[in-house]
Amino acid sequence: MSRYKSVFKDETKLDINYVPNKLLHRNKELDMLKEFSSFMLQSPGKMAQRIIITGDVGTGKTALSQRFGADMTLEAAKRGINLRYVHVNCREYRGSLFLILQQAVSVFHPTFPKRGYSAEELLQTFVQVLDDENAYVILALDEFESLVEREGSEAVYKLTRLSEARHGKPQRLSLICILRNLKAIERLDDSTKSTLQSNIIRLERYAKQQLVDILNDRVSLAFKPLAVSDEAVELIAGLAFSENGNARFGIELLWRAGKYADTENLGAVPPECVRKAVSSIIPAMRKSDLAPLSLHEKLFLLGVSKIFKDNQEAHVSLAEAEQTYAVICEEFGEESNSHTQLWKYVQNLAALGILDAEVSASDGRGRSTMICLPRIPADTLEKELKSLLEKGE
Amino acid sequence: MDVEDVFSSSLRIKIIKSLMRLGELNVSEIARRLRVNYETANRHLKILEDEGILQPKRFGRIRLYRLNEHSSKAKAVQQLIETWESEDRQHASRTLK
Repeated sequence: MSRYKSVFKDETKLDINYVPNKLLHRNKELDMLKEFSSFMLQSPGKMAQRIIITGDVGTGKTALSQRFGADMTLEAAKRGINLRYVHVNCREYRGSLFLILQQAVSVFHPTFPKRGYSAEELLQTFVQVLDDENAYVILALDEFESLVEREGSEAVYKLTRLSEARHGKPQRLSLICILRNLKAIERLDDSTKSTLQSNIIRLERYAKQQLVDILNDRVSLAFKPLAVSDEAVELIAGLAFSENGNARFGIELLWRAGKYADTENLGAVPPECVRKAVSSIIPAMRKSDLAPLSLHEKLFLLGVSKIFKDNQEAHVSLAEAEQTYAVICEEFGEESNSHTQLWKYVQNLAALGILDAEVSASDGRGRSTMICLPRIPADTLEKELKSLLEKGE
Repeated sequence: MDVEDVFSSSLRIKIIKSLMRLGELNVSEIARRLRVNYETANRHLKILEDEGILQPKRFGRIRLYRLNEHSSKAKAVQQLIETWESEDRQHASRTLK
């Protein structure tokens, strides 16, 4: 009887809430955040800061802010400054200023009553708490759009102008507003907008190689040595890149692929587990996508599915796929089509999102087309195609 | 107030035990947990406050009570309760064996 061996050594490193000690490919932005906030360590209370972090889903906005918060509070503690970083997801609190402030107050007074006062009173309480504790807070408002949508300009104005109403007293509350794009800010009135828009950090989508680096970093933290092949990482990075450079999506895929490997007790994560993982997130294939394909497209695709089912590669050359296709044609008593025709099939299948195709010059003999089956498990695809071909569809 | 008067009330002991466990609570929450009305809770809290055992902190209309960390009476009472409960736990585990 085989003993169960997990591919993971610490899967919490793939959790959405995990913040790596070192953020890859976001050094410049982290340095910029620290530059904007250096006064918090040098002369705390002298001023308050407002920063916007914006970028698409999975570009590392939350991780950047949390890393910054952790680094700043550590440095402040070394200098004897009571600086706290409070991260609140506004959507989780339905965009309510009251609930967001309650969360912030509860950091200092966990049993503070949940009812019996207004948001305005709570804001004053928060300020009083900070004065009492001689504390400074960086309040990170994640998914800031929710707060703007629900409360509009007034709530944001109150938060941003809180410091200005305290002449001669220490400025204790700095804000980081995290949002996908700046459209939400456009809805605010001019004076509120002007208080927010001075420091904006834009996070660009990750490039494919950057995603490979990020995934490799997580692989080394979360998986046992050699449990995840370069091919699997490459495949996940390609998928995350096609999802707008979404690193979070890539990390989730990595975790799911590991779970599939553990379920089958494979001891390693092959590309097929990645395909299963992605098909569990995105319903990549419907029978209705396959049925309209021509007979030879189906035969070609059947060959591709057999190749990927039997090996651990993420990519295969068109030449290799052509050989397998010829064998399949023989089995079905069909005459095989020309290379040019197959190339057209590949283009069509790629346009349908079933295959990915890219031109590679890696074989040393010139350029060749490399085919990848990124989203559909080869096993599932083979079964579906066989069933359609047997029915003569 | 004499010590026997302060500790003649089980409610006052329960208030101290609740605050030892939770750190701080407002008056309504203490009343809710002890299943008494606001006035009763308030009266007992006031006695403990006058003795210096509890320390109130006011935030607008909210009053949060906690044990007074600077009071030697508060420290002594906590010590008594901790010792008492620890002995009880040890006795219970011996009985179970």
